[in-house]
Amino acid sequence: MWLVRPAAPDDLEAILTIAGAQGARLSSTLPKQSEALAQKIDHSVASFSGQVDPEQAPRFLFVLQNADTGEVCGTAGVDARAGNGQPFYNYRRDALIHASHELGVSRRVEVLYPSHGLTDQSLLCSFAIQPELRGTDAFELLSRARILFIAQHRQWFSSRMVVEIQGVQEDDGSVPFWDSLGRHFFNMDFQTADQYSGLLSKTFIAELMPPNPIYVTLLSPAAQAALGQPHRLTQANYELLLREGFQAGAYLDIFDAGPVLEARTDCLKTLVTSQRKVLHASHRDTGDTCLIAAGEGLDFRCALTPVQDTLDDQLQVPVRTWQLLGRSAGDTVRIAPL
Amino acid sequence: MLVIRPLQPRDLDDLYAMAQNAGKGLTTLPADRALLQRKIDLAQDTFSQRCAPEAGLYLFALEDTDRKRTVGISGIQARVGLDEVFYNYRLSVTVNASRELGVHVQTPTLHLSNDMTDTSEICSLLLSDDYQGGGNGLLLSRCRFMYLDEFRSHFSDKVFAEMRGVSDAQGRSPLWDALGSQFFDMEFSKADTLSGLGNKSFIAELMPKYPIYVSMLPEAAQAVIGQVHDNTVPALKMLQSEGFNFNGLVDIFDGGPVVEAFLKDIRTVRESVTRYVMVTRTPLDPDVPASERVMVANRSFRDFRVTTLPASCVGPETVSMPPEVADTLLLQSGDSVRLAPLKAGALWPIHPYKAHEKNSGRGS
Repeated sequence: MWLVRPAAPDDLEAILTIAGAQGARLSSTLPKQSEALAQKIDHSVASFSGQVDPEQAPRFLFVLQNADTGEVCGTAGVDARAGNGQPFYNYRRDALIHASHELGVSRRVEVLYPSHGLTDQSLLCSFAIQPELRGTDAFELLSRARILFIAQHRQWFSSRMVVEIQGVQEDDGSVPFWDSLGRHFFNMDFQTADQYSGLLSKTFIAELMPPNPIYVTLLSPAAQAALGQPHRLTQANYELLLREGFQAGAYLDIFDAGPVLEARTDCLKTLVTSQRKVLHASHRDTGDTCLIAAGEGLDFRCALTPVQDTLDDQLQVPVRTWQLLGRSAGDTVRIAPL
Repeated sequence: MLVIRPLQPRDLDDLYAMAQNAGKGLTTLPADRALLQRKIDLAQDTFSQRCAPEAGLYLFALEDTDRKRTVGISGIQARVGLDEVFYNYRLSVTVNASRELGVHVQTPTLHLSNDMTDTSEICSLLLSDDYQGGGNGLLLSRCRFMYLDEFRSHFSDKVFAEMRGVSDAQGRSPLWDALGSQFFDMEFSKADTLSGLGNKSFIAELMPKYPIYVSMLPEAAQAVIGQVHDNTVPALKMLQSEGFNFNGLVDIFDGGPVVEAFLKDIRTVRESVTRYVMVTRTPLDPDVPASERVMVANRSFRDFRVTTLPASCVGPETVSMPPEVADTLLLQSGDSVRLAPLKAGALWPIHPYKAHEKNSGRGS
């Protein structure tokens, strides 16, 4: 069985391994350096404990654990406030009409504007999972458990959610958008910049990017083609988020031009379809598989469970699920259909 | 004799023929009869002071008086950018630096600017191929500094020239192809022609307003920013020897540089002196080289004339000239004239003690 729970300091090595397998990604909020990751986990534990007030930007990190073996196979996070108290950088893709009445011409000119518009919205981030689990139920559990957490702790999060999707990267590791834009200002390739980005804040890197709007037509054809396109490895995640109710808007990642998806928190499918139920025992191990979550803060747990017919607000699930959640009969849980 | 005088209606045919031979790149003098006629009319109004001083277009013709032919033209636009908007790119530098990352990157950046607005421009220089050499180009260009010096109050303190940028034999400009054409779907030669016909600011309004990072442009385009066309190298050298320098602005179409100088610092202006005319019967030696000739200008706003004389004609108080030269310059003995060497590094100043008094006799 699979379980999602808050990351603990002991998960450090496992998360490092998963993050390390991810490849270069400047916008990732998952450090590949042990020290930085340890700090992130500590901050997450404090956030789950309610010791980080909203002004200080709580950041939550979860892990996906194989409950049978204890192995940690994936990680995912939510930042209560994108930018974590600092500016959150994106490009906003917009258009200007360059028109001349005298010459009888009119032309649509696409422009990328540096933007902080998404700062302080809540951010789904740090998603990484073992490649073989991509697209499985466990994958869906890891991603959607965060939304159930948000549903349980709605007051900690903003009314809007965003998620940055990794953009196009070639097989040789080069990133067309970076090569056409960022490289000129950093004088280094994407991999090198990525190594620095783990050591320094994203804001710091972003501040080195050119402050002026960028004309799309002056980018290389490959970079233009990459605007707003998800990396093919993120396809499963991308589609999952679209089903969840996220939509690609005008915002792009400043490093790789991957799409930034946006949604209203209260319209997220998992949040809307989730229900609070009272836990009861079931002796059978069959039924529709659902997401089930329980617990506050550090006690938050989310798992997949077979669910028997439910009557009113009562829920019958196997006792094994109780144990995973650390709950017992009569406790309140939240379920959502898979 | 070659003499500079204000452009006149009878110059139209010669002018049109010259413009036709000049080809692409001379946006201020397109081969368009109606437009040339309008320019002649405007020049007439300017010299006769029938238009506002800032609207003035001072066009001078170089006439071969023996053949009664106009063989060159040059001009001064009293002020640019007051009627329509005058655009340039300012070539500046954006620095991206981080000590921690070991990053220090300088990125040349083009900012759209109207910085030359309300400044006097020297423009429209064109000399027939048959008359190249022998200092004729110098006379055609530098006569304007004599005029600017004489009538400073009509012009700005600073004077500039836009130099033709790089384009190939087919009229393709690397910068236009990389930048302008992305925003205005037209070949450079056509856009250039449209500019000459007075549509430049319309086109400029279609051009990008935000700064352009030069490093994002193709290398061929980067290489021509601030560079002049091969044919324009002599003109650039001439202006540099007068004290003009690249001021950091470039043409928004072809990237050609703008050079500028303060009027008071222009070599011809600094070195000009005044003398009184003495008409003599002494014949002139026609073979004196350009380096030993001086420009002689009458001091008339309306009937400005300039020609050259051997430096040996210049005395401490006077300049001697034969009657036919005096007639051509509309001068008589005792009239005051302005003199300056035709060529840099020539035998000058002649009678330096007089040069100190040059400002005492300044007109208007």
